[in-house]
Amino acid sequence: MKQDHTNTFRLTAAVTAGLTLIVIPQAANAAGVLAGTLIENTASATYSSGSASGSVSSNTVTVKVDELLDVAVAGLTTTPVTAGSTSIVLEYSITNTGNGGEAFNVTVDPAVAGNGFDSVVQTIAYDSNGNGVYDAGVDTVITNGAATSSIAADGSLKVFVIVTLPTGATDASTSQVRLTADAVTGTGAPGTVFTGQGEGGGDAVVGASGASDNATDEMIASLATVALAKTAAIVDPFGGSQPVPGAVITYTLVATVSGSGQAEGLHVTDIIPAGTTYQVTTLKLDGAGLTDGADADAGVASASGIDVDLGTVAGGTTKTVTFDVKIN
Amino acid sequence: MKTNWISAVIGMTAFAASTLSAPALAETAKAAQVELESDVKVEKVVAENGTVRKTWVTPQVVVPGDRLIFSVRYRNVSADKVETFVVTNPIPQPVMLAADGADALDVSVDAGRNWGSLGALQVADGKGGQRGALNSDVTHIRWTLPVLNPGESGTLTYNAIVR
Repeated sequence: MKQDHTNTFRLTAAVTAGLTLIVIPQAANAAGVLAGTLIENTASATYSSGSASGSVSSNTVTVKVDELLDVAVAGLTTTPVTAGSTSIVLEYSITNTGNGGEAFNVTVDPAVAGNGFDSVVQTIAYDSNGNGVYDAGVDTVITNGAATSSIAADGSLKVFVIVTLPTGATDASTSQVRLTADAVTGTGAPGTVFTGQGEGGGDAVVGASGASDNATDEMIASLATVALAKTAAIVDPFGGSQPVPGAVITYTLVATVSGSGQAEGLHVTDIIPAGTTYQVTTLKLDGAGLTDGADADAGVASASGIDVDLGTVAGGTTKTVTFDVKIN
Repeated sequence: MKTNWISAVIGMTAFAASTLSAPALAETAKAAQVELESDVKVEKVVAENGTVRKTWVTPQVVVPGDRLIFSVRYRNVSADKVETFVVTNPIPQPVMLAADGADALDVSVDAGRNWGSLGALQVADGKGGQRGALNSDVTHIRWTLPVLNPGESGTLTYNAIVR
């Protein structure tokens, strides 16, 4: 409802004979009026002549608003995404900062200058169900360079890029992946006109962004390396350390996992050397005994060899496996 | 309807009646003692030898943020003096009055109910209160000329920015 004002007064404005020279730049609304909108201006006048009065209307001038092609791309992962042995999802947003519905061609480039490694792009998909998270098999997958669906003026669309580490990536090295969005209607220097190709029947005009924008997301490799060292200690039946029949050899296998990642499915295995006999129930992991049978604990031992399943081992961890054999 | 309107224009010259079959615009212009002609130009910034020059051209391509200049050319086409000549121009919704020069205009922010200088007007702030009106709130502009002598003409302009 309009409010009435008590302090209104009449004022006669000066007639502006020329053009206003002072120009103060003024930003348009985020997306501005929609492409195709008609700006129609009509003036009217009233007057008196003697005791009579009259009125008149001007012609109407009409200007159609053309489509401004503008886009903003942002990488949504503020800190590097940790990439291990499984694929990771990088998230980007494409915002249509123009004033008409527009689709954008999406190009993903994993080879950015300064990368420690170039990741392998598996899938590019956009958030077609609008729930903000990647839904494999649900969100629409596009090929590299293909277009999104049309994004409404001032609207945003999330794009997911699923990548994996390449072979040869080293622990703690980083990599960026660049996503570029180009207006399907066209890109170019600001002011470039695509006649008749605008939304709403007008022209399309490239805006300040050049109708193209890009952003990067960063990932950091989190890998582990495993070093295995084997030592032997001999105790002979005479209290010495000579490898004579009847002497017991204690083998020590030290698995050292280093790096920021983790070793997965790590097994320590060894065979019982020829001419020796495994000494039952001597298998130990970090000093704790393991049964020889295949059961709930991590170790299995037999006359032919041992196998200790360490599972997933975080970097910075050392695991020690010992077992005894007797020289025949 | 048309006949009623013409008969309301008291002081109309006799030849107006013979123009009833002519196109509406021409008929209106001839029937009235004053002609009004509306026009629009768009500002184009031209860079020449390192200097930036602004020109006003007929709109070919118009996008949000562009500056338009709307003009109303008036002319007293009668042989009589016209008094209290008031030109009212509603601001088209897709544009807003440019801030520069707005303070010198007689404006309305409520569809022409109340008038004043921009600084003296208020609008609802959307929170139950009032705030000072801004150039973007202006709905109408008005110019008042006390006297228009026969043959006298001029141009009224306002600057607007495509929202």
